[in-house]
Amino acid sequence: MSDAANHITLTIDGVEVSVEAGTTLLQAAEHAGVVVPHYCYHPGIPSRPAQCRMCLVEIEGQPKLQPSCVFPAGDGMVVHTTSETAETARKSVIEFLLLNHPLDCPICDAAGQCMLQDYAFETGQLRSRYAEAKLVLGRDRVADDILYFGDRCIVCTRCVRFMEDLAGDNALVVAQRGHKAYIDTFPGKDLDHAFRGNIVDVCPVGALVHEDFVFKARAWDMDSSPGICPGCSTGCNVEINVKENQIVRTKPRLNPDVNSYWMCDHGRRILVMANRGVRAEAPMIRQGGELEPASWNEALSWVAEKLSDSSGVAVVSAGASNEALFYTRALLDRLGIQGGTFQVEQGEEVTLTGFPRLKLRADRAPNVRGAELHDFRLSEELPEVSDGATLVVLGDALSGAAADYGANAGFFLYIGSHLVPAARNATAILPAATVPETEGTFVNYEGRVQRFHRALRSPGVARPSWMFLSRLLEHLGGPSGVREIGDAFAVMATDTAGMHGLTWSGLGLRGELLSEAGQPAVAAE
Amino acid sequence: MGYPYSHDLEVGTLLSRHFGNEKARTLEGWKELGGYATLPKALEMDPDAITEVVKNSGLRGRGGAGFPTGVKWSFMPKEPSGAHYLCCNADESEPGAFKDREILRWVPHLLIEGCLIAARAIRAEHVYIYVRGEFFPFSAILRDAVVEAYEDGYVGQNILGSGWNCDVTVHLGAGAYIAGEETGLMSSLMGGRAEPWIKPPFPAQSGAFGRPTTVNNVETLAAVPMILAEGADWYRQWGTEKSPGTKLWCCSGHLERPGTYELPLGVNLRDVIYEVCGGAPDGKKIKAVIPGGSSTAMLTAEELDCSGCYEGMAEAGSALGTASPIVMNEDTNIVQAMRRIAQFYAHESCGQCVQCREGTSWTAKILHRIEEGDGTVEDIDTLYHLCEQMTGRTICPLADSVVFPLLSSLDKFRDEYDALIKR
Amino acid sequence: MTDTGDQVKKPLHPAAASSQAFQVADIRPTERLFDDPEGRDRLEKVLSRYPEKRAALLPMLGYAQERNGWVSDESMAEIAGALDLTPAYVRSVTTFYTMYNRHPVGRHLIQVCTCISCHLDEADEVFERFLSETGTRAGEISEDGRYTVIEAECLGACGFATAVQVNDRYFENVTPEKVPAILDELD
Repeated sequence: MSDAANHITLTIDGVEVSVEAGTTLLQAAEHAGVVVPHYCYHPGIPSRPAQCRMCLVEIEGQPKLQPSCVFPAGDGMVVHTTSETAETARKSVIEFLLLNHPLDCPICDAAGQCMLQDYAFETGQLRSRYAEAKLVLGRDRVADDILYFGDRCIVCTRCVRFMEDLAGDNALVVAQRGHKAYIDTFPGKDLDHAFRGNIVDVCPVGALVHEDFVFKARAWDMDSSPGICPGCSTGCNVEINVKENQIVRTKPRLNPDVNSYWMCDHGRRILVMANRGVRAEAPMIRQGGELEPASWNEALSWVAEKLSDSSGVAVVSAGASNEALFYTRALLDRLGIQGGTFQVEQGEEVTLTGFPRLKLRADRAPNVRGAELHDFRLSEELPEVSDGATLVVLGDALSGAAADYGANAGFFLYIGSHLVPAARNATAILPAATVPETEGTFVNYEGRVQRFHRALRSPGVARPSWMFLSRLLEHLGGPSGVREIGDAFAVMATDTAGMHGLTWSGLGLRGELLSEAGQPAVAAE
Repeated sequence: MGYPYSHDLEVGTLLSRHFGNEKARTLEGWKELGGYATLPKALEMDPDAITEVVKNSGLRGRGGAGFPTGVKWSFMPKEPSGAHYLCCNADESEPGAFKDREILRWVPHLLIEGCLIAARAIRAEHVYIYVRGEFFPFSAILRDAVVEAYEDGYVGQNILGSGWNCDVTVHLGAGAYIAGEETGLMSSLMGGRAEPWIKPPFPAQSGAFGRPTTVNNVETLAAVPMILAEGADWYRQWGTEKSPGTKLWCCSGHLERPGTYELPLGVNLRDVIYEVCGGAPDGKKIKAVIPGGSSTAMLTAEELDCSGCYEGMAEAGSALGTASPIVMNEDTNIVQAMRRIAQFYAHESCGQCVQCREGTSWTAKILHRIEEGDGTVEDIDTLYHLCEQMTGRTICPLADSVVFPLLSSLDKFRDEYDALIKR
Repeated sequence: MTDTGDQVKKPLHPAAASSQAFQVADIRPTERLFDDPEGRDRLEKVLSRYPEKRAALLPMLGYAQERNGWVSDESMAEIAGALDLTPAYVRSVTTFYTMYNRHPVGRHLIQVCTCISCHLDEADEVFERFLSETGTRAGEISEDGRYTVIEAECLGACGFATAVQVNDRYFENVTPEKVPAILDELD
């Protein structure tokens, strides 16, 4: 569909752009490097009521300003987004929106990331002409975890339309009409949809806020890192917001091939929970029957010395990165241990009906395909450990294990982040950074290799598993250990079917599909 | 008050001929009065030929916008690929207008016949007559007439043995002025909030239930049978070149004889007010007239010599609208009257577009403050600013509806505002 | 005035099912709208008139009010169920329109038009007179349960100011002096 016949050329703010027929003026303006301010329009929400009137632009030959979010670009059209008429109209919309707004930016969680604040600042309106009493609506709850601040609401209906168009659950609506209109649920029927949290993300102002985020952090006090949600095998692209080394919020990050603008609430919770629990902060080795802390050098040489070729079993986590799994496999190969299993928690599958490729998938782990790629096998049970055998555990694979699991092993190497009860039976504990504390890749349900970046500092001297495992292999006579994720990925890509040709930098922020060699005979979906 | 109202102007009473005659309400009585004589003719005609006659008659939409009816019908697809609908707009809710209710309650079968002929022309299979909820007594008369028409084979399956099927349903609104806007009406008919939608899609492409739809006003449709019966030229003997025919004028406010009068388009507005309606009672002078329903620009008593037709009222700086002059005598507080009008639109704004949702209520509040003596000079500037920003900025013209009377009141009666501010 | 009682005698014609008066003095309260044959019959007839179920919403909200005098949350939820809509959606539509009472009202809902043409007449005085004669404040139910008086926007009877609507009836050319007589006429 890219032949010239389907293309039209128009001029926007003096810049000539060529776009496909059917493109709206707002989208065409983006090609010209012009962002037309807007509220009700959201690129991920199909319905476009053109009701906020913020994106009105002047088109030569048209008597009235037109909403660029729906007005189709026409050949030869000359459009002005910043003409005096358009600017005045926009400024006026801001004034209207601020009439009854409480101007509570100092305590509003959206401050700093608020489209109303931004445009008000841009249009420079310091004083309101409004001399009347403001309407007061107060605060309401629309879900057990989402609050609605009615006074801040500009009734753009993005949230209502997300629920209707995307979630397919018309449970959030505009009540009343005119200047009395507000957003509401039916009494006693708060939102319970698995994707409801997106209404907070689409809110252009601070009207909808997650309760666990209220008053927690200012936008400018947070760091933000691109991550991959570990909640299920979809691998939603996310943005992790961190304040004082704590994850305070997770938001979806646009990836049209995976999750579009959305993510589910299970994923939001999972990442925040990643911070919790008792952590392994230093390497520990069992000496005289007790686990004693040791330095990395000490621990790695000790483990290398004590570990010997033997029969044994391995358990890994499908939440571990490909790089960690790769080096674990290399270690197992070095030790002559075959196989290895992982478990995956199963949950109800929920589809976002308006973007059906996005599902909260039944496999509640991010790297099932990665674990399979490195020859680990799904199992419902933890493997039995014969007395005296070697046991290698990677990642948080023992959270559901009995407290005495592994106690009978001859050598129990625990490579993990959390000191779950069974971990205390280990012969040696190598403290691993959690996923948000490190960089790496996952392979999602459809074989897409996606990068995640570091959002947090690790506690103590915990380090990425791939990093210290490569050093452990060095101690065992292997090549030099790697220090950079790119190097770790390169080693893995060379040795792993389906990953040939992939590079860390080449994956970028949208990921790449495994080649056919890495895909199972029958596609996952 | 008796019907039709007697007045001295020489006019033909076409639509209102049988107003006041209870006989016209029943099917039997209506047939005796010559009703349903045109429908058989329409059933034998090619649909496009019906449209052509209406086009040639120059009939224009009586709901306020004045769009040529035949042209509107011609937008409908000629070869249906599914259902077409006709919506009859009986949501009469413009303050000042009370004409359609007279048709509903006195000549319901005239409306039904008009609906059927129009449905035939646009190839509609179902006519929805959307009547404002408040009109219980009038919708009941219409409803009973529809049932009678069903029973006698004028509506429903195989109408008059022609093989043509067309249903008619009377549908009640529930209190929303904006349901009178055509897309708002369809939103409401479909079981939604009466929120107008942005065009395109136009109703003739995708209207009610996503199907090609035409929305016509009651008075427009009621004029159709006679036009088809007597011909376009016959209809053109009344009115002007650009505004042919007669019009129901609804006159209210400070008048000796308020009421609904059928007068030819192009009638002198001053004559309507003074000759037909007898001017203001008690010998008072008239201060201002809002000529076309509350959404049109005010005229002063000196500006009333204008031609009461679409183009004439536009020339006079106002609009014919629904031809519903609201007359205000010399004692009227213009600011207060304007506040009352603004309050109506603030109450009726659907709330989608920001300028309308916030602007109408802000306007009403400022006017109220000025009325109470707490106004400032800056308020006048703000009102002018509001007039500018509420014009042509929104999906539907509700916001513009406040601007027309407001701007004209500011321009023409500024002294009244100033007097309240300076007090 | 029209005698709407005629309709009761013969079976309701489907074409008339969406236009029954829904603000009436003689309510017939029912907890469940569609548990009795009448309710089911109304629903079925209304549904038969439209290509989409949703279009039956306004007629069915009207029916709820015709029976109960107002539209309760329970009725909204029941109608939502019958029309495959969410209760929230039904609430959104219900609250858009002014004629659906969200709370019970007096046996006679007296709506005084105070819009422009009636305002130019004596609407404000008529409204005050109704309030004083019924001993109520705007919107509340009189002690005997007979009256609720509210202001209304334009009732479409501008030439007959002041216009007053009492349930499904219109009273026109009302002056403050006529108010006691009107109240006497209401049972």
